[in-house]
Amino acid sequence: MRVLAFDTATARTAVALMDLEAGDNARPRAVLDLALVDDPAPGTRPGHARLLLELVHRLLERSGGGWDAVDRIAAGIGPGSFTGLRIGLATAKALSASSGVPLVGVSTLQALAVPAHGRGKATLAVIDARRGEAFVAGWTAVQDPLTDVPALAPQVLAPEQLAAAAAALGAACSVIGDGAVRFRDVFVRGGAQIPADESPLHRVSAREHCRIAGLQPAAPSTSIEPAYLRAADAEATRA
Amino acid sequence: MTGLILAIETSCDDTCAAVITGAGEIRSNVISSQQVHDRFGGVVPEIASRHHLALLSPVLDEALRAAGATLDQVELVAATRGPGLVTALVVGFSAGKGLAAARELPFAAVDHLHGHLAASFLRPAEFEPPFLALIASGGHTLLADVRDHGPQLRLLGQTLDDAAGEAFDKGARLLGLGYPGGAALERLAAGGDPRAFAFPAAERMPGLDFSFAGLKTALLYKVRELGEPEAERRRADLAASYQRAIVAALLIRVRRALKQTGARRLAVGGGVAANGPLRAALAELGVELEVPPPALCTDNAAMIASAARYSKALRFPAYLGLDVYATGAQRL
Repeated sequence: MRVLAFDTATARTAVALMDLEAGDNARPRAVLDLALVDDPAPGTRPGHARLLLELVHRLLERSGGGWDAVDRIAAGIGPGSFTGLRIGLATAKALSASSGVPLVGVSTLQALAVPAHGRGKATLAVIDARRGEAFVAGWTAVQDPLTDVPALAPQVLAPEQLAAAAAALGAACSVIGDGAVRFRDVFVRGGAQIPADESPLHRVSAREHCRIAGLQPAAPSTSIEPAYLRAADAEATRA
Repeated sequence: MTGLILAIETSCDDTCAAVITGAGEIRSNVISSQQVHDRFGGVVPEIASRHHLALLSPVLDEALRAAGATLDQVELVAATRGPGLVTALVVGFSAGKGLAAARELPFAAVDHLHGHLAASFLRPAEFEPPFLALIASGGHTLLADVRDHGPQLRLLGQTLDDAAGEAFDKGARLLGLGYPGGAALERLAAGGDPRAFAFPAAERMPGLDFSFAGLKTALLYKVRELGEPEAERRRADLAASYQRAIVAALLIRVRRALKQTGARRLAVGGGVAANGPLRAALAELGVELEVPPPALCTDNAAMIASAARYSKALRFPAYLGLDVYATGAQRL
């Protein structure tokens, strides 16, 4: 199965195109495993609107096949930047409607957790939610983020709640994501383990979206919505 | 062009999609007004943007269904690039680029104000340049010298502060009416004396630019001066006098612009064009007048499709890297 995936929930624009083996593992086939990312320069805004379709186009060109060869589109539904999510999902729904390729929504927190999980440890995925808060979801040591519903459901937490959330998942919980870097001190004091700031585990790669989507049934694209996790009214009352 | 043009407009709080023919005939023009901003007294960008994403797919489906068309018949996709609310614009613009990209169709990035002018080009009116255009809406108030089909805009004047529609909304709010308040204020004004209070129309401001901020303040002070019971008793008079000032402010500059350009023909666009007293006053100017039907005056995608006929259609993949813009015009 060939899956085209992208994620625009964080500052990084991430796109991947992958042929999956048949079976439960959804391991990438060596034949086609392409990924492109673009990180905005420090202090500059994410370039999702400009970059997303450019990167998709480049990957399709490299693959030597067009939309006819794609079996599924996977789009990150966040949580993350509201505008980023809308650019990603508006694009995904349009590509799906126009090409006829089914669309799957993938949790960005789940995609972050997949490569970090293992070695018998719990995993907490954390995305910086701005305003001093964090979006989190967590999997216990016996769970598999690739297929399992997270024991700690996606939600927004204040810094003082973060250490307890990691500890509740299991001892020496592995914490990853740009929110893990942002709130490193809080987690470390609570006994969690965080890879070095520059570790790729903290950054979203759309390759995991391909694997997750390969194991999910396609849904009607109207049912795919961003995981905002915060009410729009909150924005209004702040304005 | 023999095929159809599919256009999307999401620059403010209306989610719009339309299908027109290459000759400028409207096949469908779907507008989904959100009507969720009332309790905030204005458009909240985050709320508007969430609704755009939720509504866009059904609105697009409906535009194609109502046109009796499928994507296979679409030869050009167009979307509003700006000006407007960036978070709202990127929803429709991303969708437009995506729809075009998956089929390697050409794509036209349309300026919203060019769209308002191009509403007049649509059939059956086919009001052709040259003409003077007055665009007055909740987000824009301007006069343009339309000598050709665009996209270059020859701006003669524009508002220096509030838009005319914004003045209506803010006045309506002061008088205890809901949002958007233009139509409610007009209804209330119908039972009042437009000469009861003398509100300023910025008559002494020379040139063709508009200003409505002083008018809004004048109404606020008048309401305070009268006191609550008296202001309540004379609401209709206040509304009528306030409306008269807005219409006068528009008329003064339209007359000046007609004189300055020598134009004998006038097209009006924007939501304020639905205002009865304004239409009546414009009809007495003695020039050939074109006021498109309401669905083409307020924000809509048929006008964006119309403008797309005269905009540069970019071939795949030249448009993939385009982004929206919040202010200004014509970045192409």
